[in-house]
Parts: sequence; structure tokens; C-alpha cells
Amino acid sequence: VVLWIVLAAVGAAVLLFLILTFNRLVRLRNEAETGWANIDVQLRRRTDLVPNLVATVQAYAAHEAETFQRVTEARAAAQLASTPAAAAQADVQLGGALNRLIAVSEAYPQLRASENFLALQQELADIEDKLAAARRYYNQTVYRFNTVQQSFPGVLVARPLGFHEREFFGTDEREPVNVTFTAAERA
Amino acid sequence: VTLKEQIRANRWRTLWLLLLFTLLVGVLGGILALVFDLSILIVVAIVAFVYALFSWLASGRIVAAVTGAKPADRAQYPRLYHVLETVAIAAGLPQTPPVYVIDDPAPNAFAAGRSPKTAYVAVTTGLLNLMDERELEGVLAHELSHVRNRDVRLMTLVAVLVGVIALISDFMLRIAIWGGGKRGGGWAGIVALALGIAALVIAPIAGVLIQLAVSRRREYLADASAAEITGDGEGLALALRKLQQDTQQTRHAPRAVAHMFIESPLNQASGLRSSFRSLFETHPPLEDRIRALEDSGGFRLAA
Repeated sequence: VVLWIVLAAVGAAVLLFLILTFNRLVRLRNEAETGWANIDVQLRRRTDLVPNLVATVQAYAAHEAETFQRVTEARAAAQLASTPAAAAQADVQLGGALNRLIAVSEAYPQLRASENFLALQQELADIEDKLAAARRYYNQTVYRFNTVQQSFPGVLVARPLGFHEREFFGTDEREPVNVTFTAAERA
Repeated sequence: VTLKEQIRANRWRTLWLLLLFTLLVGVLGGILALVFDLSILIVVAIVAFVYALFSWLASGRIVAAVTGAKPADRAQYPRLYHVLETVAIAAGLPQTPPVYVIDDPAPNAFAAGRSPKTAYVAVTTGLLNLMDERELEGVLAHELSHVRNRDVRLMTLVAVLVGVIALISDFMLRIAIWGGGKRGGGWAGIVALALGIAALVIAPIAGVLIQLAVSRRREYLADASAAEITGDGEGLALALRKLQQDTQQTRHAPRAVAHMFIESPLNQASGLRSSFRSLFETHPPLEDRIRALEDSGGFRLAA
């Protein structure tokens, strides 16, 4: 009889552990998906903004064909990227191309003074901040999600329960797109 | 002390305090059961429950009205919206909560609403004028931490419990005085009655003290979570320092909602803050909060 009680207790403990781990993994997976959705929204906002930005700069600086080409290509590549790692890589490309575009625009005072360009830069800066925030949250969550799956009790059950580790979205050392504002423009 | 340890320690302390609370209610109930009739107790319990339910449901709506908060216009406060949306994303909230502005030169902010879905944030115009973008980010992260940690729900629950204890005590005290004891005479009856009355007097005070201790714990927790969300504890510490240097008092912030603000809106006697006085504060001293942020973030603010 004692043996049965012990066995029942062990069984109950195992079941409880399974339920708890499962719920924890589901919660983390959902959080990671929310985080990824947030990144996706910002990436999309930026790909939507790029044609507008290119057109605006083109109106004032038609000679920079090579720069426009790079931005357009990087944008196309970014739209194709589907996994977080690929998206992160495409994001670095696009960021670099945009940085170059902004740098080029410095040479055109009329462009810099144009209201349309200012508004676009403002929005680009907003996207950059939000993208950085979304990446931090997503990577933190993925780190926790993956850690549970890799460390001891979790490692036994994560796979059988159908959980898979997630990819990080790039590294935190990624260079941001540098939108520069004077104080008056910021206000 | 790392951020994670701070967060964990604060969670544990809250749990202990809540256990203490349950114990308090249990002991109170036990003593009452000894002294008074069961039927009276049941009636009191039902009244207390209805009262609790009512304050639970009504709490969210009252706060905005009491503080005079108005919805913020996006065109008028673009910076506020930009920072709030960024922080909401960093905190992983399902959506950016609505934001209200209180026309008050004293810098302060609070979060309200029982769940992340119904939550909202309010800031004073004084806060917007005083803080730069980095500091504002820290303050809003602190507020959104309250939302994410379900602090509003927790504090509402605790407040309701305190109210229930007070209600029970008040009720039973009257019954005791007007003669509702179940043992007629003898020394044992008198001793039991005295014990019951003593418990009734002490319980509400103990309840309030635990409530305030929970509130202070959650402030530390929200600070630590905010540092985690923004990855910049120093920004929040700088904001707290500014709040410390500011001496204006928030105008429309009654005691009942004091625990929700980032800085206690009540008149704090600084300098002569004895440990006894600090028992009755809703917030830990700003110096201590800044120090906790410095310890976990590995930085020191210039004096």
C-alpha cells in the first residue's frame, strides 16, 4: 500500500511538472511571437517608406543613381527574407544603404530643407527607435525560451511536446540608421 | 546585485506579505468565531464580499475622474507618443495603452487599469516639461512595468482586503459594544471579549501597514523592471533625481490613489524621516530607489 502511495505521489509530481513546463513554454513562445510581430511591423513600415524616401531624394539629387540602386535592391531583399536571421541580415544591408542615402543627402541643402524630407526622416527615426526596442524584447524572450529548452528538466520534454528553439534577430551591435536632426527640426 | 536577483527578491517579498495578510484575516476570523455567534459572522462576511466586489469593479473608472486626467492629443504631444510606443514595444505589451495628460506643473505619472488590456497611463504636463527623452523613457517604462506586473490589480486587491478588514472590525466592534457576545458572564467571557476587541482595533492598522509595505516593494520591482525594459537604468535614475529636486506637490492626488504614482504625491517630510514615519509611506525614499538602480546597473550618478 505504501508503495502505491509513493508511486502515485511520484506520478502526480511528474504530471504537475509536465503541465507547468508546458505552460511556461507556451507562454514564452507566445511572447516571442508577439515580439516577432512587433519587429515585423517596423520592418514593413520601413520597406513601405523607402520608395517614398528614394523618390524625394531623387527629385533633388538625381545623380546618385548608384545609391538609389543599392537602397532599392536592399529593400527587395528585405521583403524576401522570411526567417529572423535572414531578416536581420537584410536589415543590416538596408540600414547600410539608407545610411549612405542620408549621408549623400547632406550635400543638398534644398533637399534637407524640404518639408517632405524632414517628415520622412522623422518617421525613419521613429521606426529605428521602435525597431531597436522590439529587437531587445524579442531577443530577451527568445533567450529565455531557448534556455528553458536547453537546460535540464526542460530539455527532456520540450522536443516531445513539439517546441523548437527560435532564431535571434541579429545582434545588438547592429549599427542604427543615423538620422541627424538639429534641435529645431526635432521639435 | 543583478537586475534579475532584484526582480526575484521583490517578487518573493510581495508573496510573503500577501501570506502575512491571509494570516491576519485568518487570525481575525478565528478570534471572532470564538467570541461571537456564527450567524453574525456569516452576515458580516456576505456584506464584506459585496463591498469588495463593488470596489473591485468601480476602482478603475474613479481614478481618472479624481485626478482630472484628459486623453492626450497625438498632434499636441508627439514626443510623449513616440516614447510611450517605443517603451510599450520594448515591454512586449500587446498594445500601447491609452495615455492621459494631467494639467499640473508638478512632475508625476501613474498607471491604472486592472489588466494590460484595460490599462492606461497618465502623466502631468510638469513631467513632460521637465524630462528629456531618455528620462521620460525611464518614467514611462516604470509605469508600464506596473501594468505588466499587474501591480494595479494587486494593489486594488490589497486595498479591497484592507477595506474589508476595516469594515469587519468596525461592524463587530459595534456589536461587541452593544452586547453581542455569546458567553454570558464569568471571567473567561470577559477576557475573550477583551481579546476580540483588541484584535478588532489592531487588525485594520496591521492591514494598512502590510498594504504600504506591498506598495513600496512594488515600486522597487517596477524600477528594476523598467531598467530591464529600456536597458538603461541610468535614464530612470536621472529622472528620479529630477523628481527628488523638484519640490512641487501634485494637486489632485488623494491618499487613495497615492500608491499609483511614480513619486509619492503626498507631502513628505524630508530630512527627519524616522523609520517609524517611513512605515506609513506608499513609496520608498527616492534616494533608496536611485541607489538600488545604481547597484544593479553598475553606475553612479554625479552628486
